[in-house]
Amino acid sequence: MKAKRIFIAMVFSVFALLAVTSVFAEKVQVVWWHAMSGSRLKVVKSIVNEFNADHPDINLKALFTGSYAETLTKFISAYRTGNAPNLVQVYEVGTQTMLDSGAIVPVYKLPEMLGEKWDWAKYIIPILNYYSVNGKLYSMPFNSSTAMLYYNKDILRRAGLDPNAPPSTWGDLESMGSKLIQRGSVRSVLSFGWPGWIFEQMFATHNQLLADKDNGRSGRATSMYVNGNFGVKVIDTWARLAREKIFLYGGPEYSANQAFISGRISMLMQSTSSLAGIEKASRFKVGTTFLPHFAGYPSGNSVIGGGSLWVPKGQNTKELRGVWEYLKFLGKTKTAIEWHKGTGYFPTTTSAMKVLMDQEWFSKDQNFLTAFMQILSGRRDTAAATGVRIGPFVKYRELERAAIEKAVSGVSSPRRAMDTLERQANSQLTSYNRLFR
Amino acid sequence: MQEERFPGHKLLPYLLILPSALVIIIFLVIPFAQTIFESFFQATPFGTHKVFVGIANYIQLFEDMDYLHSVIITLIFSAFVIFVGLTISILIAMLANQKIKGIGFYQIALIWTYALSPAVAGTIWAMMFAPATGIMPYIISKLTNGYALNWMTNSSAALFIVSAAATWKMLGYNIVFFIAGLQNIPQELLESASVDGAGPWSSFFRIKFPMLSPTVTFLLFVNMLYAFFQVFGLIDIMTKGGPGNGTQILVYKLYQDGFVNLKTGFASAQSLVIFVAIAILALFQLRIATKRAVYER
Repeated sequence: MKAKRIFIAMVFSVFALLAVTSVFAEKVQVVWWHAMSGSRLKVVKSIVNEFNADHPDINLKALFTGSYAETLTKFISAYRTGNAPNLVQVYEVGTQTMLDSGAIVPVYKLPEMLGEKWDWAKYIIPILNYYSVNGKLYSMPFNSSTAMLYYNKDILRRAGLDPNAPPSTWGDLESMGSKLIQRGSVRSVLSFGWPGWIFEQMFATHNQLLADKDNGRSGRATSMYVNGNFGVKVIDTWARLAREKIFLYGGPEYSANQAFISGRISMLMQSTSSLAGIEKASRFKVGTTFLPHFAGYPSGNSVIGGGSLWVPKGQNTKELRGVWEYLKFLGKTKTAIEWHKGTGYFPTTTSAMKVLMDQEWFSKDQNFLTAFMQILSGRRDTAAATGVRIGPFVKYRELERAAIEKAVSGVSSPRRAMDTLERQANSQLTSYNRLFR
Repeated sequence: MQEERFPGHKLLPYLLILPSALVIIIFLVIPFAQTIFESFFQATPFGTHKVFVGIANYIQLFEDMDYLHSVIITLIFSAFVIFVGLTISILIAMLANQKIKGIGFYQIALIWTYALSPAVAGTIWAMMFAPATGIMPYIISKLTNGYALNWMTNSSAALFIVSAAATWKMLGYNIVFFIAGLQNIPQELLESASVDGAGPWSSFFRIKFPMLSPTVTFLLFVNMLYAFFQVFGLIDIMTKGGPGNGTQILVYKLYQDGFVNLKTGFASAQSLVIFVAIAILALFQLRIATKRAVYER
């Protein structure tokens, strides 16, 4: 009876398999939803594998759940139906939404809940500040970046300019730009990614508040300050540079990168997270420096962007421990360095900084140091320099981008574009705040 | 005695339609009712706070200049996609319906655009028109002595380019149906017309076009749905509704407000407005179609 034997063998192996899986089931499952695609996904995967190898009692499952917006939408519906993951990545503009969600355990409470002590000061302070409320950390910084000015050293050299003297003020940038155009080096000089974010950077780097209630950090903001003198000055400068063909509006997110990489423009303001990609793809010497300043205005700091990791409510202690182990693992020097080198995002701890320096990583490529120097040398004691936090932030970004696009294309005057933006943004704030009365 | 139409138990027919009815109720009727309900509320994304606002969402909608702008953009966009698209398609279909060597190759070559995913089509067009690196701005600047076309700031250019891309993407589908329609026209009719002295123009307008009218009405409807809803992917890849809301058609605005800005009430109100508009247009089209189209021969 051969068939019978095979049947028995099959039944047996099924039981054996069940036994094995039940051993695995002893492990704590930690599900993490993130929005990291492309080359970042590879780094995420390798970090997760290392974590699982290090922690035999935890099974961390990282799931790519689409763009930031999609991940947040999915998280909201999953949370409302009781299927939330154990950890979720949310972009910086979703911070207030998460704070108001009533759906999260603040990260600062985790060590207490698990009976541990934790030294938060080992993380890099300006990054910590961005995700803190009243000095307490609510979400774990994960992929943090800021904006800086990239420039093409070869174009500057060919035009007879000093390749090691990039502009430090908008005035420098304008005069250098008109020289580059006159000498026929490029047809347009400057472009930027994330236009709305760069606009917000200008407020922070000049220590100007973008909204009332201390940039929405001491209470819910009720009014923006975009159409004040400073906001109009920024947009007016950009519109003038656009008329002079120095500034070429390059569209949202990363669409301007291609023009810079191909050498059609010589300067780009973009997130530091593009650094690795730009250096790999371009055939010229890439220089980087701080964002340009308006002469005569005070100094602030550049704003942190990117995303952070939030811990949803309703988990048992075992699961929370798994999550916390992973958050601690991300702060380990080795992990933080791997993340930084693979993506260009900031490593989050001071000790990782030290090791990178000891390895002469920054002297091999000083461009990786630029953004650090910018955030570490800037001021960190004002809300204006830390950046704005509002409920309808995503909607505001959309309105902001439309206003910038209208102003730089000349469809609308800078003053009118800012007045419209102010009105629209304030009505968004009002309708958001109405929900919390 | 009247014969039983459905032999067996009296309830059998109901049992048989139950699965489809359930699917329709669960996936269409209940969400629809929910949408109507939600449109009278304003809520936080997580539903922690919810306020009844009556018809405030609708009032806000019609007072919102951006929304009225979106309506106009949508009308221009769909008119372009439907009329320019169908006209070009019918012309190409006529050309591709001749007895020439290698016609099979041409027919397939003309249809392939439909097989592209919106992401691929969008990327191709976006790269072609990239302000600093694309081939089209380069050609245009050579032809016009230096005019710099930047569809990232020029909203009319962006709308035109997105419309052209959407039309191009749908050409394949339209052409297939037109070729099929043309091949269904009885040869004898055309032959007897030419014996009676009809030239190419009159044989097109008097015979071919009327015979194609069922195809045309069908395609009008499909293209309308396409232009209203399915172009979402193309817009998302190419412009994300920009520049300055220049290509923010209604369905994209709905997505932005509902799924990015997380304003469920406002988005629900928008989707109801779109529903009513599409329902009216569809009824209107069906009435005209059933009156005018020639279904018999």
